Amino acid sequence: MRAVIRLIFLITASLLGPSLNVARAEVVVVVDAASGIERLTQDQVINIYLGRHRKLPTGIAALPVDLPPLDKLRAEFYRKLVDKDLSEINAYWARLYFSGKTTPPMQANSTAEVLRHVTGKAGGIAYLDKSQIDPRMRIVYSFPQ
Amino acid sequence: MLKTRGYLRIGRLLGICAGLLIHPASHAEEASWIDDHLVIKGFGTLGLARSDNDAAEYVRDLSQPRGLTTNWSSKVDSLLGLQANLKLGEQTEGVLQLISRYRYDSSYRPEISWAFLRHDFTPDFQMRVGRLGTEFYMLADSRLIGYANLTVRPPPDFYGPLIFSYFDGIDATASMGIGNDLLRAKLFLGKSPETTPFYGPITWDLDGSRLFGGHLDYFTGPWQFRLAHAEVRFSSHEAPLNALINQFIVTDPFLSTLIPVPINLTTLIPELSMVRKTSKFDSFGVVYDKGPLQVQMMLGRIRHESESYEDSRAGFITAAYRVGKFTPYIGYSKAKSKASNISTIPATAWGPLLVQIVSSELTPSTHMDQHTYTFGARWDFRQNWALKVQYDNVRGSQRSNILFRGTDNQWNGRLKVLSVSLDFAF
Repeated sequence: MRAVIRLIFLITASLLGPSLNVARAEVVVVVDAASGIERLTQDQVINIYLGRHRKLPTGIAALPVDLPPLDKLRAEFYRKLVDKDLSEINAYWARLYFSGKTTPPMQANSTAEVLRHVTGKAGGIAYLDKSQIDPRMRIVYSFPQ
Repeated sequence: MLKTRGYLRIGRLLGICAGLLIHPASHAEEASWIDDHLVIKGFGTLGLARSDNDAAEYVRDLSQPRGLTTNWSSKVDSLLGLQANLKLGEQTEGVLQLISRYRYDSSYRPEISWAFLRHDFTPDFQMRVGRLGTEFYMLADSRLIGYANLTVRPPPDFYGPLIFSYFDGIDATASMGIGNDLLRAKLFLGKSPETTPFYGPITWDLDGSRLFGGHLDYFTGPWQFRLAHAEVRFSSHEAPLNALINQFIVTDPFLSTLIPVPINLTTLIPELSMVRKTSKFDSFGVVYDKGPLQVQMMLGRIRHESESYEDSRAGFITAAYRVGKFTPYIGYSKAKSKASNISTIPATAWGPLLVQIVSSELTPSTHMDQHTYTFGARWDFRQNWALKVQYDNVRGSQRSNILFRGTDNQWNGRLKVLSVSLDFAF
């Protein structure tokens, strides 16, 4: 009986979970300020982050980076970008990865690593909270409020 | 467990060998280079399913020699895959994948399902060389990865006739941005190294059959459209039709007095031969994927140059809507084939009788005329794990039998399947 109650609790919690998760951060997509890229469209960001077509408007290969798996901003980014849960994003990547098509964005271990990636690598592209942006970076996409 | 460790060791060993070839350096540096460049991941499914009809065995696809009965069985859906990716540069990668699953010889012996080098020449152009998964239809090259798919298994009415899982060859993919949309083209060419179950314990060696095909994808917003063509030119290994027909004649006390066995059927009626004959697969697919809503729809056609298989058409639609961690789905699929037409009559006294046996027993054994209603739900209960429960209701004519194994004379074309699967990726 206790197991049943716990199961019902888990199911209810999992259904309510997303709505209780109040996030106040503003996620933006950034590149190196010297990259020569002014703006990206949402479709371009989707193509880069979902590995469909990793090409920047300057012609060079885009090298996207992901925040650590448990970072709240990561879930918010994919929620805003394609309205998907991280479990759906994982399932999406399992298809492409295990059919050898392409690999997911580089996995950073910390926000500091993301900052190093986007400012240090040609083609580097990242998503961060707006408060973390400094003059070395340029915001190329903001989600509509 | 022991096996898993073995694979990891093999993957690591291969990685180290490749590393030594490419990066001659001191041993200590080598270990860290490997750690930085080699990634080993895996996926699998623990599946249990049963049907409500023992007059035919339900299979996932025709690569499986036996299928489901009214007893719970894990063989149709369970599998384990391990993959090693070795990064050889910003644009180059080597991939090796092993899969253990229920195979044509009823064993679970691991097979190399993928083993290739991929090079991204530019962000627009990619080539792969080695062993590659077949992608005759949209999503077909990932049909074994339960965690990546919504349903327990891809609809057998549509994907069931695919007996080719992988080939040794080459493929090339080109992408082009058109405004905010994306156009992608892929071509592949290679030879099959596989064997497939044919009838009972009799197998058919597909080794050397030539596979060729390609597709065009168009992505716009939440939509993806695909037009695909693939063809197979079978090798000089004849389908084991002779074994089948001789066995049929010998076991019939009446026929065995009229036809002097053994006969060579494909010499007597050459239009039944599969040797150097072509089979063509055409399909059109649409995926709509926006937020919690996912819809997949596909239409396909298979045409065989040989008359030993009936030509067929199939289609399916699956729709799903995610609510929290639950994704309920419904599906409908349908497959129908057209009777073969034998025009050669062997010039012997029993020639017309033989043609009659072929037309009434042999080619109708490749008949399909059925549709399936599918209901199920996927529960993503934790990171990288999904639990699915699915119910399929297959309704067909009693002559619809190629998508099943071991049909007997009680077969009425109808069965229901209940499936539970636990899918994971790690």
